[in-house]
Amino acid sequence: MRRVIHKIFWVWQLEKEQAWINEMASHGYSLEHAGRLTFEFEETEADLYTYKTLFLKGWADSEENRKYMKFLEEMGIKVVCYINYPGTTWVYTRALKKDYPDGIDLFSDIDSKVLGMKTMGGYMIFVMAFTLFAALLNLWCAVGRGFFSLINFVCSISMFVLFTLATIATVRIFVNIGKLKKERKIHE
Amino acid sequence: MPQLALTEAVFYILLSLQKPLHGYGIIQNVGEMSNGRVKLAAGTLYGALNSLVEKGWIDALPENPESRKKEYVITKNGLTVLKEELDRLSELVDNGKRILGGN
Repeated sequence: MRRVIHKIFWVWQLEKEQAWINEMASHGYSLEHAGRLTFEFEETEADLYTYKTLFLKGWADSEENRKYMKFLEEMGIKVVCYINYPGTTWVYTRALKKDYPDGIDLFSDIDSKVLGMKTMGGYMIFVMAFTLFAALLNLWCAVGRGFFSLINFVCSISMFVLFTLATIATVRIFVNIGKLKKERKIHE
Repeated sequence: MPQLALTEAVFYILLSLQKPLHGYGIIQNVGEMSNGRVKLAAGTLYGALNSLVEKGWIDALPENPESRKKEYVITKNGLTVLKEELDRLSELVDNGKRILGGN
């Protein structure tokens, strides 16, 4: 039986989204397709799959990303679906839980973990710049044209909220990168 | 310039590729060699394999049409690097044992 759930996750909530999809899988609902606001699950046996959401630089059909996704499939990690965003792709993968009992871990050393986090951090800076620009533009449209526009004011406040959330997430990513780099001076 | 130390992942990948292996085979082999201590993750392995091919330390063999999996094998250069790393590690172990009095 197919179950469709509408839910929103922001770009910085990759881990939260992944945890939710895995929780659904543990209850016997395996993700078959994801859209920007829609998740489609198929009823299967509980804990059949383990899921991992990834963040790739560039479009899904770029040569580099196609090669990477093919490599993952060779590892038993199947690409369920993906969503293209400007300059990036959000990929949903899964593997059989019996093959990956501890979950899918894509990075096993500090250097590759840092590289993965830098990709995410770079995109978050883009999100921050975009939301700040949109917030300031809407603020100007709301109060800078000689009359007050409530719609622009609300949009501006919303964009400021998103900018703040994106900033918090970005700072967290770069703090973690800093911690890993410190660790890298001693350990691999 | 002396060769920089290899990462544990690269050392084990080169050691595994004495015979042609595909990615999943490398992960299994490394796991067996290290008694399960070293668990290579897919993304880390992918990055390492690409870097090693670029450096000419391993070769990517033509894709096997049956399994559709790409296999890799160590090159002469890769073998030289691996032997140099083994010498470096031996020096570390010898000095450690000499000073700490191990066997």
